[in-house]
Amino acid sequence: MSYQITSAILGISLALIILLLIRRDRLHSRHAIWWLFVAVFVMILGIFPRIIDYIALKLGVNYPPTLLFSLGMAMILLKVLSIDLHQSQLERKTRRLAQRLALLEGDKQQHDD
Amino acid sequence: MNTADSIIIIIPAKNEEDSIAQVLGDLKARFPYPIVVINDASTDNTVAIAEQAGARVLTLSISLGAWGAIQTGLRYALREGFEIAITMDADGQHEADSLPSLLAPIMTRKADVTIGAFTQRGSFARHVAWSLFRKLSGLSLEDLTSGLRAYTTPAIRLLASPAATLLDYQDMGVLMLLQRAQLRIQEVPISMRPRLLGKSRIFSSWWAVSNYMLYTAILCLAHGSHYFRKNKCPIKSPQPF
Repeated sequence: MSYQITSAILGISLALIILLLIRRDRLHSRHAIWWLFVAVFVMILGIFPRIIDYIALKLGVNYPPTLLFSLGMAMILLKVLSIDLHQSQLERKTRRLAQRLALLEGDKQQHDD
Repeated sequence: MNTADSIIIIIPAKNEEDSIAQVLGDLKARFPYPIVVINDASTDNTVAIAEQAGARVLTLSISLGAWGAIQTGLRYALREGFEIAITMDADGQHEADSLPSLLAPIMTRKADVTIGAFTQRGSFARHVAWSLFRKLSGLSLEDLTSGLRAYTTPAIRLLASPAATLLDYQDMGVLMLLQRAQLRIQEVPISMRPRLLGKSRIFSSWWAVSNYMLYTAILCLAHGSHYFRKNKCPIKSPQPF
């Protein structure tokens, strides 16, 4: 079995899993766009792994897999950073909601008394 | 201004059933100001005791920490139209007798924010840390962590805004926000009782101390300098809620 078949199978199954998750509405649309992009990317690279060699050659990278790894790592870092940004935003919203709830519950209690 | 019904006392409390009655009793005996206790998801009898002592109690359904609780109180003060908000610890460290001197510079409109400063406390190491943070942040205050403070309307408005929501303690992050908004901060020397019970939550262990130091250093990085951030002044936001 050639390595191309292996990588194609891996790429296509990962893409299918992502598409399935999007179809089942398990990913919020803003995340789904990113993952759709990843799915397409992984599928193309899985079926035509030679693309990496070609790009690496053009960019003057001697050992093509390093290009793949550093690009992959960079994308993961960016994604994690964006998760933390989003997480901080959520934290701010959660805190304000809890405060507002405390105020409203206080009003209600006073109203009931 | 200057009238008793424009002043509110805000006390954040988390599991303070042993000390809150005395704190509220002392205040009620001396001052007519309304008191709001922000119950930071206590699991003990704090709420019942505070209500019995005549305080308004607002309960947070999830614990937001000391600053999250104080901010709840400030949002309440803003909504109810109070012009001066005094914050105090529930552990009995702060004396009710300090309030007149805390309010004096505000009544004469010499300051927008006053801090009850007690600088004798703290170990040598703590003082070294403070002077480092003073350098980093550009703040020229003596007591950076005091929880006994009085805020006037512009300060209340700023600190009730979302810009102050991601802070965790009522200390340097808050002070740097106030300084950036060019509010006048004045320290008032006060005396302090030892905590009735319990220890400082921040300085409970070396691990907690290092965490706090790192947190504060990052705060200085984020808020200490004008150069890295756009000048977003939340004071002007028309609707803080």
